Formats: sequence, structure tokens, C-alpha cells
Amino acid sequence: MSHHYVSKFLTWLRSAAGFSIVATIVIAVVTSIVSGPYLLVNTIITGGMLALVATGLTLMLGVLNIAMFAHGEFFMIGSLTAFYVFTPISNYISENPDSFIAVIGPLIAMICAAIVGAISGIIAEKLVFGPLRKRSTDNWVMNSFLLTVGLSVLLINLHQLIFGADFKGIVGYWSGMPVSIADVFISRDRAMAFVIAAVIVGIFWFFMTYTRMGMAIRAVSQDITGAQIVGIDIEKIVLLTISLACALSAVAGGSLLFMYPSYPTVGLEPLYLAWFVVILSGLGNILGAVAGAFMVALLKVITVEYIGAGWDFVVPSALIILVLIFKPSGIFGSDVRGALDK
Amino acid sequence: MDIAITSRQMNPFDTMLDKLCLTPAGLFGLILLFALPYIPPFNQEYMLRWLIYCAFIGAMSVGFDFTAGFISIVNFGYAAVAGFGGYTSALLVINFGLSPWIGMAAGGITAGIMGLVIGMISLRLRGIFAACLSWFFGLAVMGLTTKMVWLTRGPMGLRTPRLFEADSNVPFYFLIIVLLFLIYLTCKWVVRSKMGLAFQAIGQNMDAARTSGVNPTYYRVFNFTMSCTIAGILGGFYAHFYGILTPDVMHTSKTVEVLAVAYIGGRGSLWGGAVVAFPFIFIMEIIRSSFSNLPGLNLVIYALVLILVMIYYPGGFAYFYDTIIRKPKNKVLRYLLNGRD
Repeated sequence: MSHHYVSKFLTWLRSAAGFSIVATIVIAVVTSIVSGPYLLVNTIITGGMLALVATGLTLMLGVLNIAMFAHGEFFMIGSLTAFYVFTPISNYISENPDSFIAVIGPLIAMICAAIVGAISGIIAEKLVFGPLRKRSTDNWVMNSFLLTVGLSVLLINLHQLIFGADFKGIVGYWSGMPVSIADVFISRDRAMAFVIAAVIVGIFWFFMTYTRMGMAIRAVSQDITGAQIVGIDIEKIVLLTISLACALSAVAGGSLLFMYPSYPTVGLEPLYLAWFVVILSGLGNILGAVAGAFMVALLKVITVEYIGAGWDFVVPSALIILVLIFKPSGIFGSDVRGALDK
Repeated sequence: MDIAITSRQMNPFDTMLDKLCLTPAGLFGLILLFALPYIPPFNQEYMLRWLIYCAFIGAMSVGFDFTAGFISIVNFGYAAVAGFGGYTSALLVINFGLSPWIGMAAGGITAGIMGLVIGMISLRLRGIFAACLSWFFGLAVMGLTTKMVWLTRGPMGLRTPRLFEADSNVPFYFLIIVLLFLIYLTCKWVVRSKMGLAFQAIGQNMDAARTSGVNPTYYRVFNFTMSCTIAGILGGFYAHFYGILTPDVMHTSKTVEVLAVAYIGGRGSLWGGAVVAFPFIFIMEIIRSSFSNLPGLNLVIYALVLILVMIYYPGGFAYFYDTIIRKPKNKVLRYLLNGRD
């Protein structure tokens, strides 16, 4: 029996997915031995947050066939909400440092970010995507993509118009001593950010795999007509998907507020990185997006470490271009691309 | 698509108009553009600067539409290609003392080579994938430009000599209008020829086009090269007009600006973007300068117009013009709007 598993493992290793995952792990381990374990820690924390944004993007692509350019703006909405919710809370905490609010206050801010993100996603669907879906039948992917471009410009400038262009940031969510793991000191905020990302990705994976709703979403992403025949309410699934995707992005923005203060174009960097992830891992593959998020995070961290800050767009985008040229379906993607190809 | 009719009864004037791809109304508009710097509200220098920017975006949108409207590939790194041309030109002029005119031509050629590369590597991709590829390409080029400080001075910007010694903006204005018209004319001639048909065939259904004997490789690469050459020349103009060049010129938001004008003007029309750019960008500049206490208001309106046009009127201004304005009962008006046909 064991021989069977070994040969299966070897086959997996030879596939693009297996090779790239093993290569990522090896590179991560080698570089952290060479330059210090903080590389690994940075990779894991960046990757965790990137996974949230990228799964949302993947969901939009896979289920709704919307190539979302405005996903970073929901990140921005999340961080903005978290800022306005957390500022009064932190004032309260500084007066009564021992109250339980000091522990759950940040969580309240993040939950608010997720809720506002979901609501704004629904508004976007009702005002923007819904009307387009009713009108356009051909060339939906390209038209909706251009529509999200407009949405992105709109949200960025509404932020600037209403809240101003200055940085709206906080000092930190959780005060106290940093956590120490293997000689690396991680601030509590960073550690919690990773824990939150891991918990949310886990819940999300469970939701997509085992609940009726998640199964319905996956069914719609595979075949809309078939899903309709078995009695799935497409309208409801569309609303659910879009609010989930936007909430994921917004909660990432909310929990990273201590690193990325909210300003109009804060969403561009997560957007670029999430797009790298999506192209790398193949469109519409949710688990692949999680793995891809860590790969892109590693790439970014290594680039910053060995080549210098600011190159972290050049090197990843060059690599992604290579992926697009040689394996357009992505590392984990199947070769079926369907509607997205038009 | 109006195909040239070489009938005997056409008089020389109409033949010339047909060769220039203009209607009498279009000719009138062109003459008006040339006269604009002498008509009172527009003869001030700052108004001229706005008008030059309008014409620049209009010309960019013609080049952009040449790809997006015909072979249906949105070149999302278009501004980066233009910036690349601009930087090539500026660096040649600064480091080798060439004339800015030669620099502009060199910018066009290098941007064309870049277009050739993008066209080649995006051959296997379609739709959103090709758009992503050109986008990432643009991001990489912009990142490189920002980081190669020893060459480009990075975000501090490159001071470039201007094309004309004069302080006045009038010669620049005439140059960009001539460029705009020449770009329109070149694109229109290519589109009118057999090649245009091939472009449309590829844009609508690549497999069907291939089956009927159209070689997509050649046409797609040609299209990309040509539209990127246009961007490079315009980038050179931009560099030698403003006198300062920063990597911001390559930013995705610049592409979005061009894209919005091209789509509001009407996809696949070529002239739509050029016509719409003037009133649209001009009004945006007026809003920007008169509501300077509300930064971003012009872009909010910009985005709203783009969204509304995309949803409710995807044909844009060109479609509106073709279906509603173009068919008056009056014979004279009809001639003015359509030319002899």
C-alpha cells in the first residue's frame, strides 16, 4: 500500500502544482536559514492577508465571471470603516485600559469592516453589475471588467472627496509585549492578523466545501444553467457571492489597518498582488489561491530582502508574465477557461 | 465602415475629403480647432495648456481604440508604453544632445518594438488574459523606471528640453493637432484597407477568422506594434511639452483616462474618442480648477460618466451620432454630416 502512496506522491511532485509548492517551501526554509527566520514570519503574515483578498477576487472571477479591478477599493472601505470604528474605541481604551474592550475592541472594528464591505458589495451589485447583467449578453467579461475600472476610480475619488487624502491610521490594535517565536519578535497585531486570516480562510473553506450554500455557489461557478435546473436561486447566489468576496477584502483591510493606514489609493497594492496570485494559481480556484498567496508573499519578501524595496513590483510581475506566457491557465488551474477567454 | 466609392460623379473636393477620411462637418471641426487659439476665451495660455492635454488624450484614445475597438484586446499598459517612448526620447535628448524631434521619432520606434514584444508574448492569450499581461508588463516597466534612479532620476523626475524655444504654447498646440489628425488618418487608412477587415474578423471570433484563412499572428502583432508606436510618439510629445517627466505618466490611472475617453467616444469608431476628448477633458479641467476645494470631484464625475455609458449606452458618442444625428431629412445637412456617398 505504501508504495502506492509514494508513486502517487511522486506524480503529484512532477506536476506544476506539486513542484511549485515544494519549491516554495524549500526556498522559504533555505532563505530563512540563511538570512534569519523573520523572512518566514513576514511571508506567512503577508501571505495570510493576501489569501483573504485573493480568495475574494477568485470568487468573483469563478462564480460571477467578473474580473474585478475594484477589489482593492473594498480593502480601502474596510480599512476606512475600521479606522472610524476603532478611533472612539481606542479613546475609551486609553481611559480604561483594563476593561475587556481592550481585547475585543479591535475585533469589533474588523467585524464592522466586514459588514460594511458586504453591504457596499451588495450596493455595487444592485447599482452597477445588476443593470449591466440585464442589458449585456455578449462580451460580459470585458464589459464588466471595464465597469469595475470605473467603479475603482469612483470609489478612490469619493474617498478623497469625502474623507480627504491624508493618512488615517492607528498606532496599533493590541498593546502589550510582542510575542516571541524562535528568536523573532512579532508584534501582537501581526500575530493576530495572521490568526484572523487563518481562521477566516478556514471557515470560508468549510463553508464552501460542506454547507449547502457553499455547494450552491460552487455549482453556479461550474455551470449556471445546470444550477438553475436543479433549483438554485441564481439571484441570491450572486448577491451572496459578491457580498462574501467584498467582505473578505474589507476584513483584510480592517485587520491590516495598523500596517496600511487608510488613504484613497491604499487598495492598489493589495489589488496588484491579488491579481498576481489569481493569475499564478489559475482563475477560479479557491484553494489554489490560498497556496498562491503564500508564493506571491514569499516572492515579495525575498525580492525586498535581496534586491531592495521598490523592486517588489518588477520581479513578481516579470515572473507572472512568464506564467502567463507558458502556462496561461495558472499552476493549479485546469485548461478549461470557458467564458473568461472571450 | 464607409468604403471608398470611386464613382465618376465625385468632384475633386469630395475625393479629397474621402482621402482625408473626413466629412464636411469633420473638416469644419478641424479648421475650428486650428482657429481656436485666436478665439477669445481660448487664447489664454492656461486654456491652451488644457486644450493641448485634450488633444493629447484624444490622440492617445485613437491609438488605444485601434487595438481595443478592432482586435478586441484592451492594452492596459498603454500609458506605460507611452511613458517608455517619452523616457527613451528624453534620455536620448539629454545624454546625447539629439534634437527633440529625432528623440520623438526614436521614442516611437522603441515603443513600437515594445509593442512588438507585447504582441508576440500575448499571442496565445485572449480577452482578459491579454489585458492582464499588458497590464503587468506596464507595471513592470513603471517599477523599473521608478527604481533605475541612476538613469531616470526616479520619482524626482527628469527635466527635458522642450520642442520649441518659444514660451508660448501655440506651436505645441498646432503640433499636437497635426499629430492627432495624422494619427487618425493613418489608423483610418489601415482600417479601411483589407487589413481592417481582418482586424475585425479576429476581434469578433478568432477561430472563425483563422478558419477562413486570416493569419491572426501577423495581424495582431502588426496592430500592437502600430498602436504602441503611436503611443511612443505621443509620449515623446508629452515629455518635450511639459518639460518634466516622472514615472507617474506610466501609471494605470493614465491608461484609465485614455480608456474612458475611448469608450465614451465610442469603441471601434476611431474618431469618437478624438471628438469627445475636447469637450469632456476640457470640462473636467474646468471643474478641477473651479472646485479646487473639492479635490477628486472631477474624477468622480469622470467615473460616473464612464459607468453610465458602459451600462446604458455601450456604443458611446459614435453610436449616438450615427443613429440619431447623422440622418436628417434636409439634403444639405445630410451632405454636411455624411459627405457624398
